[in-house]
Amino acid sequence: MATDHDPSMATYLGIWVGFLAIVGIEVAVTYRHPATKDLLAILLILAFIEAGIGLLYFMHMKYERKILFWTVVPITLFVLFMMDHFWADAFRMFNLRLTQ
Amino acid sequence: MSDSELTIGAGHGALLEASPYGLQSKKLAMWLFIASDAVTFTAALVVYGFLRIGSPDWPRPFEWPSIVNGLVMTFVLLSSSLTMLVAVRAAKASQKSKAIRWLGFTMLLGVIFAALHLREWFHMFGEGWGLHKNPMGGPLDFGAAFFSITGLHLLHVISGVVALLVITIGYKTNWLDDNHVETTSLYWHFVDVVWMFVFPLMYLMNAR
Repeated sequence: MATDHDPSMATYLGIWVGFLAIVGIEVAVTYRHPATKDLLAILLILAFIEAGIGLLYFMHMKYERKILFWTVVPITLFVLFMMDHFWADAFRMFNLRLTQ
Repeated sequence: MSDSELTIGAGHGALLEASPYGLQSKKLAMWLFIASDAVTFTAALVVYGFLRIGSPDWPRPFEWPSIVNGLVMTFVLLSSSLTMLVAVRAAKASQKSKAIRWLGFTMLLGVIFAALHLREWFHMFGEGWGLHKNPMGGPLDFGAAFFSITGLHLLHVISGVVALLVITIGYKTNWLDDNHVETTSLYWHFVDVVWMFVFPLMYLMNAR
């Protein structure tokens, strides 16, 4: 069970400080005004790092049995990939209205 | 808790076979809910991303004070995850009053987050923004994307505060136990994780 391997409060505090630092980096990068696509890529990478750490430590995924990870995460990613690229809804984006 | 204790505690069906996940059914159900909710948020954010990149005249309404407001909201929500962790640890250690106190702090931070969010919204309404209103000219989709995605997240925060209130009352009156507190904490941390995407994509991507 997760509670047998709980990290210490010092670890949680360290992660919390790390999250705040990543948010600081996100703001600093934004105000350097990179190209929109570059900014999106950088912000997404940083957000995925934050989310991964949050999932593993705050949500204790790291301390659960591996089968939970292999049940939830790959299937969720598969659905997202199919939804964004192959299933019918993905093609609706080609027809979205971009201007008024 | 050992597997055998978990199995016995989970009801007659589970006596036949232990859960391969080593989890109580409510916690597994919460994980599955979180996975489905993650798909919902991702779908909305991906559509927004396509619109944002595909619109050269996309508005950038957020000046520095709005970004600071977003930073304070981020600080509040991240801190609420920390107070939730303290509450779960206290509940697991059977420190009931401490757990209830920290659950209270978590709810308070959730309410502060919602209040800051609504303040930002009303400020934008005052400037002429709306679901299909864009006072800066250009695509009307900004309002639809911003208010629907942040609104969906805000709804999750408010739902989380209500859920925490119910869990706290149940835990205090011995109707619920520490496992309920832990399961609800998963939802609260998930709401925090979603904000890690919403803030940079909705605020920073639209900063002047």
